[in-house]
Amino acid sequence: MWERSGGNKQMVDMLVEAWNVKNPDCRIKLTYIPHTEMVGKIAQGIASGEVPDLMGMDLIYAPQFEKAQQLVDLTDRIKEWPELKTASKGHMTVATYEDRLYGVPLYADVSALFYNKDLFTKAGLDPDKPPTSLTELRQYADKITALGGDVKGYYLPGNCAGCNIFTVGPLMWASGATIEAKAKGDEPLVGDGVKQVLQFARDMVQAGNVHSGDRTENGETFHLQFGSGKVGMMGTGNFNITLARQQNPGMKFGIALLPGMAPNSSASFIGGDLVVVPRGSERVADAVNVMKFLLSDEVQVEVYAKALNLTTRTDMVDNKYFQAEPLVQDVAKALEVGRTPYTLTFFEQINSPQGPWLKMLQRAYYTDDDLDTVIADAKKAMKDIAGQS
Amino acid sequence: MYRSKRGRLVGFAYLAPALAFVLVFTVYPLGQMMWMSLHNWSLLTPPVWVGFDNYERVFGDRQFWVSFLFTLKYTALITPVLIVGGYLLALLTAHNSPLRKVTRTVVFVPVVIGLGVSSLLWYWLFSADFGLVNRVLMDLGLVSGPVLWLGVDADMSNLAISTSVVWKVIGFGMILFVGAIQAVPTEITEATMVDGASHRQRVTRVILPLTLRTVLLVTLLSVIGSLLAFDQFYIMTAGQPQNETATSVFYVYLNSFPYLKLGYGAALSMVLAVTILAFTVVQLLLARRSEV
Repeated sequence: MWERSGGNKQMVDMLVEAWNVKNPDCRIKLTYIPHTEMVGKIAQGIASGEVPDLMGMDLIYAPQFEKAQQLVDLTDRIKEWPELKTASKGHMTVATYEDRLYGVPLYADVSALFYNKDLFTKAGLDPDKPPTSLTELRQYADKITALGGDVKGYYLPGNCAGCNIFTVGPLMWASGATIEAKAKGDEPLVGDGVKQVLQFARDMVQAGNVHSGDRTENGETFHLQFGSGKVGMMGTGNFNITLARQQNPGMKFGIALLPGMAPNSSASFIGGDLVVVPRGSERVADAVNVMKFLLSDEVQVEVYAKALNLTTRTDMVDNKYFQAEPLVQDVAKALEVGRTPYTLTFFEQINSPQGPWLKMLQRAYYTDDDLDTVIADAKKAMKDIAGQS
Repeated sequence: MYRSKRGRLVGFAYLAPALAFVLVFTVYPLGQMMWMSLHNWSLLTPPVWVGFDNYERVFGDRQFWVSFLFTLKYTALITPVLIVGGYLLALLTAHNSPLRKVTRTVVFVPVVIGLGVSSLLWYWLFSADFGLVNRVLMDLGLVSGPVLWLGVDADMSNLAISTSVVWKVIGFGMILFVGAIQAVPTEITEATMVDGASHRQRVTRVILPLTLRTVLLVTLLSVIGSLLAFDQFYIMTAGQPQNETATSVFYVYLNSFPYLKLGYGAALSMVLAVTILAFTVVQLLLARRSEV
């Protein structure tokens, strides 16, 4: 099995270990590929015919491989599984191509709004009432920034396309907008929510509600920002719970869903990996057994939840381990409102540091360019990219 | 000179290993890259012949030219610093006293660190929130707030990255220069001293001309290395702001792997390779002229 290296290594190790203990005659040999090289490595493996029997794949790239028919169609083997009814819908969306199923969730990363309860209290805000709309978020940020010193009310990663689709994208979705062009001819950046969120972000920057250094954030220090204790509210992921505690053990914080313009609207980005079977795998039946194992009640609770990782089935969220850890329960709610972009050109449109998504955000955050022009330019670039797919 | 058939065969036998190496590791990959550049190929689906379409696209691709010009700018900025700085350091440390040997070692140590590691190190040093550079500048009262070194202004980013690369590689040029300076016959320098030449005159009129070949070699290596710059920009700015610091190789990488446009990436690489070849030929011609 191949899997990309990264923050979820520990959990994947645990899952594989659990399988190996139960299946000593069919052990998984796990190989990690550097995260940034994974797509190229898989493509090279496919071109040379040297593929693993199963692999973890960043879910966002799955449609590209499905369309190229480089993954094994598992529909007839797994479509009747009851576990799939509650499997993370973001994962299942990208695991499906033209009504055929190509994989199941391996793990989930979801985004949510983390807020610093200590700073809320200092700013005279109720620490048990996180913002439920972008208007409230702005008001709260103003109050926290007014505390002065190094403290700022909010955080915007200015130089990181991936961080922004993870944390700013949901603000747009929650405001009724769509972002990516799904395929050739599809219209990207549709809905008033796009402009409203860009205006919200521009106002936040101009009001001084974010640190000036946020502008240089390319993702390298993103995970350390909330734990620094200098940020009042920030969109980040479930991985930040443990990290913030290690970094700043005394800090009290809460988690809410990322809001949109309207009160009580919310959304989340569901990321993570799928487990798929590359074409050429010699052990498809064994690979399917691994998938069944990963989705089983026992593994969901005793491996995922026990280690305080998100379960990949929404009906498994209510378990004894999460009940003892309210923050995980809070972040798990994001699975129900979350979504995953679906496009064959995700990297070029969204994730690339040279792509139109980041360019649009940077112009919105840090220039006075007319927002309609900024959006129109990004739309055109996204459509051009989708048109080449 | 071998004139007989047997003699030619023996000569060829001596040449064969090197020739085989070049054929396998240079000529074949170049041929393969040329072939790829004439196709559209995502690795996931079979290659499709497109003739010279990819090359036509290269010349109309605005980002490629932005990247290319930025790469030239970076090369023009860093090369003189590496040459002049490396030479000055070599002049200071060429003689073998214990302190000079230690100095040489200290300056050379970063050369053995990987460029990726050094770039990451400097990324953190320049970090607006956590970096030592800003902390020191603020503590000394030189700036009131953190300086945004990376990813906000292209020239500032270029300066910051060049600083990190100079720290990383200047020792390499220095060592080559030290070797060249030490190879200057002592009789010559002693003769100039007897003739009453000042230190400056000895350096500019004797040592520099006698080490010119090494200067040209280091220049060539520096220019080629800078035109191929990738790691430092990929790690420290990811091409920002607005893709203004995306180097040519970074753009080739993006197209070839994350975008899975291998054919287009190969066409970009061919254009880059021809450019580097042109620079190299010009420099070699200059080197030949300097020998006359």
